[in-house]
Amino acid sequence: MSDITLEQPPTPTAGRRHDHHATRLLWFVLKRLGTAVFVLLCTATVAFFLVRLSGDPVKLLLPPDATAAQESALRSSLGLDRPLFTQYVDFIGGLPRLDFGNSLVYNQPVSRILADRLPATIELAAAALVVTLVVAIPAGIFAAMRRGRGSDHAVMTGVLLGQSTPPFWVGILLVLVFAVGLHALPASGYGTFAHLVLPAVTLAVYSVAVVARLLRSSLIDVLSSDHIRSARAKGFGPLKVVLTHGLRNASLPVVTVVGLEVGSLLGGAILTERVFSWPGVGQLTIEAISNRDFPLVQATVLFFAATFVVVNLLVDLSYSFLDPRVRTSR
Amino acid sequence: MDRGHLPRRDVLRAGGLLIGALGTATSLSGCGTPAAARAGNVLRVSQPGDPKTLDPQKQGDMVSMNVLINMFDTLTTRGRDNQLHPRLALSWSATDAHTWRFRIRPGVTFHNGEPCEAQAVAFSIKRLLAPATKSPIVELRYVKDVSVVDRLTVDLHTTVHDPILPAKLSLFGGVVVPPRYLSEVGDAGFAEHPIGTGPFTFVSWQRDHELRMRAHADHWEGRPSIDGLVFTPAPNASSSLAALQSGGVDLVAGLTPDAAQQLDGYSGVTLDGFTGIRTSYLSLNTLEKGPLQDRRVRQALNHAVDVPLLIKAVLDGKATETPALVPRGAFGFDPTVKPFTRSVSTARALLADAGYPHGFSTTLTASNVDSNVAEALSGLLARAGVHARVDLLDPGTYAARLTSDNRGALGPIYLAASTVWTLDGESIVQSNVRHDRRQSRWHSKEADRLIDVEELSQDPAERNKAFSDLQRLMREEAPFVFLYQMDNIFARNDRPRWKPGSAGVLAMESAEVSR
Repeated sequence: MSDITLEQPPTPTAGRRHDHHATRLLWFVLKRLGTAVFVLLCTATVAFFLVRLSGDPVKLLLPPDATAAQESALRSSLGLDRPLFTQYVDFIGGLPRLDFGNSLVYNQPVSRILADRLPATIELAAAALVVTLVVAIPAGIFAAMRRGRGSDHAVMTGVLLGQSTPPFWVGILLVLVFAVGLHALPASGYGTFAHLVLPAVTLAVYSVAVVARLLRSSLIDVLSSDHIRSARAKGFGPLKVVLTHGLRNASLPVVTVVGLEVGSLLGGAILTERVFSWPGVGQLTIEAISNRDFPLVQATVLFFAATFVVVNLLVDLSYSFLDPRVRTSR
Repeated sequence: MDRGHLPRRDVLRAGGLLIGALGTATSLSGCGTPAAARAGNVLRVSQPGDPKTLDPQKQGDMVSMNVLINMFDTLTTRGRDNQLHPRLALSWSATDAHTWRFRIRPGVTFHNGEPCEAQAVAFSIKRLLAPATKSPIVELRYVKDVSVVDRLTVDLHTTVHDPILPAKLSLFGGVVVPPRYLSEVGDAGFAEHPIGTGPFTFVSWQRDHELRMRAHADHWEGRPSIDGLVFTPAPNASSSLAALQSGGVDLVAGLTPDAAQQLDGYSGVTLDGFTGIRTSYLSLNTLEKGPLQDRRVRQALNHAVDVPLLIKAVLDGKATETPALVPRGAFGFDPTVKPFTRSVSTARALLADAGYPHGFSTTLTASNVDSNVAEALSGLLARAGVHARVDLLDPGTYAARLTSDNRGALGPIYLAASTVWTLDGESIVQSNVRHDRRQSRWHSKEADRLIDVEELSQDPAERNKAFSDLQRLMREEAPFVFLYQMDNIFARNDRPRWKPGSAGVLAMESAEVSR
């Protein structure tokens, strides 16, 4: 927010004020994009060198009875015997074209492998986000309106449980009940809506807790303010007061957190994908790391970093639409 | 104050929506109908991983091979009798010390109709050996050239006599790929839509989700009994077992004994164990100064490690003791060589004799996937006064140190395992014993001489004799603590009928399912 401060005095006419606002926003976006590129470049560099400290992929590609000559032949045909700096320059040089090189293990361009896995990860994250919003917003509103009563405590206890339970455990439990016990949903796999239900719920449990708690406390703050009292005095029903007058004001911190949760849902699904054999980027990352598939590890690390950078940028931008004080100069 | 009172109608509306959503979910999944009943004449197999690639010459791991062996045929094959049988090659013989001649089965075609003859075989071997292929398949290391003799005869030329070359062509290196198709679609196109001569044809593959194949009606051996074959990867055992219990898969392969134990007593789930050839042992570093240079100490460790107890307690009985490295079923196994007697007092006496009456402290290194066994081994050694601290490494680090030029990289004692899929003793002795091999931690001129005989002799009887002598020598010198060969463990529902060979390869052409 502080990035959007006014650098020139406001002009008297409304039209020019609007232009200034647009310019400011453009500057802001450009500045943030510059930072984003810098962050990603740093991430790429760290990933490139760190992964090379972790071991030798050729030793994992070949069986233990391979000879030293066979190892060096493969190392050379994979280009791993070139000077480190040359490999680094090649890697960075390919980034603008989204060319991450070829996977050492899968014999395919890394960008292609990532593109194959992305839909599954996005689908799971989107479904988990829907579950999060559908459950957390009513739960947060309900708890805020019932503040201090038994039902508030009940909701908040449930939420606390959700926040403190490891997702893979929730996943296994859901599989035991709904797949093994009831045969109602598949235990793992991908493809139909039914396959999506358990992983999405598992992944959403933590986010529901975070969002519901924050919404509750944020709403409680807003509900004690003067304009809410006025709205009540006008005779509006309690739900209408909350939905039309409270929620928008309480939403600012919630939007930040939901944004960050989108990042975690996209990047944090590794365990959930593992439990449900979900063919997404998370599982790919685990395999890439255990195979020491350097180009693929670099690309997945960059993917996760880029996700957070983009989400943060979008959250910051959304402020200016949600809060007029940010939009107009302060 | 009625602040926060939610109207009943709103609550009911929300509840209705929720129930509706749940209803949709369950009806989509076919609520209550076990998925197994709807699978038809299709076998669904789950194993711990997904193929690395569908180009059979660019992979070298058993998980990939398990899938590919169903779409591609090899020149030779191992039967359930552990004998080598013809497959794409009808017969073979060594025409001289450096040449193996193979007669190719006539009338075989690839799934696209392209003929599979000597020229295709020669093309395949050459492609495998070409550096541009970047193949991780290493066992054809002595093959230097291939020549087509006539339409159905091909010669493989080697740098030294390779007595087990036909066995090496029974899996990875023996796959035949279609030359014309490859030139049309290129390497990338081939890996995307592989064409082989195997009993199943490729249908679709979504990485990390499922790979579908269909029975090949015109297979030279006849059409497989099942219509379709599906492979799904399940990276952790509990999710594959859940998939089996919920009817999502029929057969779970690649189970560890502790994962299989979770299923004990579950109705509708059967556990099968078949003697396998993955052989485990402790390698003792005799090259560095220390107690392990003394033969009596090495024998003491063998007496101390109660292998039958280990198998019973840790592996749920799903393994068989190996007396001297070479597993049962492999060429060269000598049944007259008996395992060490298991006796802590003998072990203690030998240690005292060697000057270690109170034992000694050491380190036992293992890959973290073998942590259970490593801890149990450490416990067994401690009973004889040998205190081995267990050092667990992630598999990547372990593999790098195993083949490191620094022979002490895995410490004085490490736990290792080798899958002897060629079913020839050479494959396990190969990298472990002869002094110039990287995993050798024991140097013996006599052992080197015997290895030269079994690796280079053209006479099977002579090779067998060399293996016998080598096993006796190793039993006496004890450069390893000899452990066991693991069973191949499968969990299944009541649909599939199928039996693997010793290597546990998931070749499914003989499988049947009840509908």
